[in-house]
Amino acid sequence: MAPSEQLPVVLIACKVFQSLLAERMPPGLCEQVTFMDYGLHRVPSNLTWSVQEVIDNIEQPSLVVLGYGLCGNGLNGIKAGPHTLLVPRADDCIAILLGSYKKYIQEFEAHPGTYYLTKGWLESGSNPLQEYQEYREKYGEESAGWIMDQQYQHYERLVFVAHDQEDLEKYRPQALEVAQYCERWGMRYEEMLGSDVFVRRLLEIAAALDKTDEEFVVVPPGGQIRQSQFIR
Amino acid sequence: MSEILEKISTAIIEGDADSAPGLVQKALDQGLAPKTVLDDGMVVGMNEVGARFKRGDMFVPEVLMSADTMQAGLVVLRPLLAAAGVKMLGTVVLGTVKGDLHDIGKNLVGMMCEGAGFEVVDLGFNVPPEKFISAIKEHQPDVVGMSALLTTTMRSMGHTIKAIEEAGLRDQLKIMVGGAPVDRDFAERIGADGYGSNAVAGVEQAKRFVGTA
Repeated sequence: MAPSEQLPVVLIACKVFQSLLAERMPPGLCEQVTFMDYGLHRVPSNLTWSVQEVIDNIEQPSLVVLGYGLCGNGLNGIKAGPHTLLVPRADDCIAILLGSYKKYIQEFEAHPGTYYLTKGWLESGSNPLQEYQEYREKYGEESAGWIMDQQYQHYERLVFVAHDQEDLEKYRPQALEVAQYCERWGMRYEEMLGSDVFVRRLLEIAAALDKTDEEFVVVPPGGQIRQSQFIR
Repeated sequence: MSEILEKISTAIIEGDADSAPGLVQKALDQGLAPKTVLDDGMVVGMNEVGARFKRGDMFVPEVLMSADTMQAGLVVLRPLLAAAGVKMLGTVVLGTVKGDLHDIGKNLVGMMCEGAGFEVVDLGFNVPPEKFISAIKEHQPDVVGMSALLTTTMRSMGHTIKAIEEAGLRDQLKIMVGGAPVDRDFAERIGADGYGSNAVAGVEQAKRFVGTA
């Protein structure tokens, strides 16, 4: 594999990481940066083809850094073509926002019924309260409540993850509004400071691919992203 | 397809739970057999729901309403299916695996299996391997079905299969897996006997296991 410094670096990432990545990106690292819409993972095949389309339009062979996890298999099947792909080895954005796969699994095992909120998800309106409001408009109050119950009744905890005190305070009122709605299922509200370790490592490895380790998936030219690469 | 069966199928697709019992009754009044109403009306609709959901043409709320419609139709059909002597196909033990609290898909598979004539033992969600094992010992099922919505919890399926093997129970039953992140490749890797890409495919798999499809 060619050393990464010889390859131009292209970053394609979910908007949920926009500020986290943009604030930490060394100047001149990336030739091209594309932040993709939130919520493409809801129909995983939409995520697959949207990301594939951006990859296929990159003109010269590059190191394509994907700011995604496996995301409900949304990345499964993506073809590298002439490029090299670098992806965090994480199930979804939560592990990346918490700083490591290990931290995510620790949280997961201790509290499986957790719904995570982030400022990105709050800004994009991807949270249970917003979802309820959309359903109410479309299906009426009674059906909307029933649909929400079917989806969320077993959840126990709502965790708002932010990466600094300022964001925590700025978005707290919105998070609390969601928390209040989620009380209908007895969900308790907690706040957590995330970690930028995963994101910083991703950027370091993007600058020097030989530093990669088992926390990342590297797909050589001609290869394809596979679910099995993420399972550990 | 007769006009009434088409209406039943459409009601399922559109999630029109209010009209389902009436339509099912009408089909029966026209002399159609309960099993025909189920297989050629309701299941046809549910199959389309599964396909549309996969393509992103239908979303969770619509699927839930379709499931509710299916349930409303089954309330009318179930006693008749039993009375018509549609024989029990076998027993299916179902559960959403450890760590996973999502049960919409699993409930749908349960409903479809029950409709098809299986005895269904539903273990609920967040089911640890040991609970599957004690249920297998108690109910001696023909089929065990496991569901997961998250790639994080999908791993529990492999752990559960291993535990069933270690308990010496693996040879007496067939295992099928399903859920959004699960595909055939994963099912094979963890040693499942089959996989269903949606609820209808799940019940078809269960039927093949007991030799009736």
